[in-house]
Amino acid sequence: MGKQYEIPLGAQHISLLEPLHFKFTTENEKIVDTVANVYYVHRGIEQACCSKFKFRQVSFVVGRVCGLCSVSHTTAYSQVAEKLIKIEVPRRAKYLRMLVIELDRIHSHLLCLSHVAENSGFEALFMKTMQYREFAMELLEAVCGNRIQYDFSIVGGVARDLKPEVGKMILERLKIFKPQLDELVDIYQNNWTLSLKNKGVGLITKEDALRLNVVGPFARATGLAADVRNEYDDLLPWKEVGFEMVLDKAGDVHARNMVRLRELYVSMRIIENIINGLPESALVTETKTFPDGEAVARLEAPRGELFYYAKGNKTQILERLKIKAPTFSNIPAMVEAFKGNEYGSAPAIIASYDPCLSCTSR
Amino acid sequence: MIKYFTMKTFFKAILNLFKKPVTIKYPFEQTFIPDDYRGMIGFNENLCIWCRRCEMACPPGAIVFSQAMDGKQTYHFNRAVCIYCSECVRACPKEGAIFQTNVPAKCALKEENINNGWNILYGEALMSRAAYAAEKKRLAAEKAAAIKTEMEKKEAKS
Amino acid sequence: MNRIETSIDKVKDDIRNFYKPDLYHFVVINAVDLGEKIEVQWFFCEYANPSNIIAFCVQINPDEEIPSIRDIVESSWVAEAELVDLMNIKIQNTAKGFVLEPDFESGPLRKKK
Repeated sequence: MGKQYEIPLGAQHISLLEPLHFKFTTENEKIVDTVANVYYVHRGIEQACCSKFKFRQVSFVVGRVCGLCSVSHTTAYSQVAEKLIKIEVPRRAKYLRMLVIELDRIHSHLLCLSHVAENSGFEALFMKTMQYREFAMELLEAVCGNRIQYDFSIVGGVARDLKPEVGKMILERLKIFKPQLDELVDIYQNNWTLSLKNKGVGLITKEDALRLNVVGPFARATGLAADVRNEYDDLLPWKEVGFEMVLDKAGDVHARNMVRLRELYVSMRIIENIINGLPESALVTETKTFPDGEAVARLEAPRGELFYYAKGNKTQILERLKIKAPTFSNIPAMVEAFKGNEYGSAPAIIASYDPCLSCTSR
Repeated sequence: MIKYFTMKTFFKAILNLFKKPVTIKYPFEQTFIPDDYRGMIGFNENLCIWCRRCEMACPPGAIVFSQAMDGKQTYHFNRAVCIYCSECVRACPKEGAIFQTNVPAKCALKEENINNGWNILYGEALMSRAAYAAEKKRLAAEKAAAIKTEMEKKEAKS
Repeated sequence: MNRIETSIDKVKDDIRNFYKPDLYHFVVINAVDLGEKIEVQWFFCEYANPSNIIAFCVQINPDEEIPSIRDIVESSWVAEAELVDLMNIKIQNTAKGFVLEPDFESGPLRKKK
């Protein structure tokens, strides 16, 4: 047995996008134990939602929980608020919500992939992925009117309609993106240099995933079929628009990359189906009732399952709002998956989790 | 085999030197802005019916109405507090009174004192409204008292 | 959402009898301040039928200690540590200071009296 060293990583580190602290105990460069500290950006959003803002305004507040999955948060909150005030969302609004969520998933997954490449030491691939990601940002800007904060879902429906010319533009851009995605899949799958840093690294088995309740692409890369979109829920009709679950078996960084890349194909197909078969109806259901009772809503954000709990008390202000972000569920598995890997691969493993700390600490 | 791949990548790298850059030369070339970009909020005083629904709907509190003693209301808007969600436009009962343009907002400057100045203005606006309401209440009470005394006089006469 | 009302002594046994790692997915622990009492909810969700959400609900006094389910559901430690800090309730074997600094004002999500 060699000597053990403790190496800190974070909260400020070149490979981290957000403040996150890991303390690794290493032995001969191998990580034997990890301690995580994730709550650097606690902003008290849950408390603000229950004290300062009216329930219709909260959907804009929760959009600011996270920049990348902003639309997932607003949609999940809108769903839970609609359950509280007992209204049905128009069909067109549901389809438009799914459209924006899938566009958001494309840009989020490409961002994560690019950072895996960067942290594995492949700068050129990082640039390339970011270059291809730009189309998704422009499409989101055309649909929602803004690059980052979409503010698309409101309680009762959606804020904006999809113009026919924007729909046409989306289909055209997706046609350009398809060969680019094929090229990316080829590089991520077959590049020998990248495989040294990715294959067999950050391994987590299906049994561990079940034991630690992992969600999102992290779980699907181990073969665990955990995807909220897979259920037939009356909230959003995913099966109608051609959703298919993507699974992998290996459970390492490479498998996570492949799951994300293959999910992009599914997302593209869903977007094409939505635009080609967009139903005609109103955009918002108007009502003047106040929230009452308690409700929960689940939604598949790009990083995994998003869970909202809300309780109303027949006033404009909610009594309690609980946000469970996907990364929150993944922290125990994140700590576990480092064990047995070299310290040098830690940045790539962290990037492959796609951690979102501002979601986690809220 | 390895030689072939090295040569191929080498030529690819040389060719890349003559390619156009992917990035946009920003000040000379305009970036992509859609026609319905969520930009500055405009206000038309002639159409407004002064119902203050935009103020009630605004999530960050970027709109406030102050009121003079003669009852005339003034619209105040802070572009640095606004999140451009267009919730005010949806709340407005009169079409065109408050609207969203596709012009991006200018950045806030230090001279404008946009945070503290706005907080003071917001407080003053609320206070001016409260003062007007109190004045109105006082006048109404005076009027009611005057009517009451008149009625009593009439009763006494009859 | 299926509510299962139980009591503070029985909740751990109930969860132990109910929870199968390959059938159910642990979501989160939540607490709601009801004024006098605090309601603690353990959320679980079925893999095969994800719209089936089960909540074990217990009403406790603010100074009562609730049992930790870490030996049944290993990944529950994050949710427990968060509850201890934000709701200022006592959970078995869980220390303060994971979410907020150790010298914070306790329980920001509790109702102000």
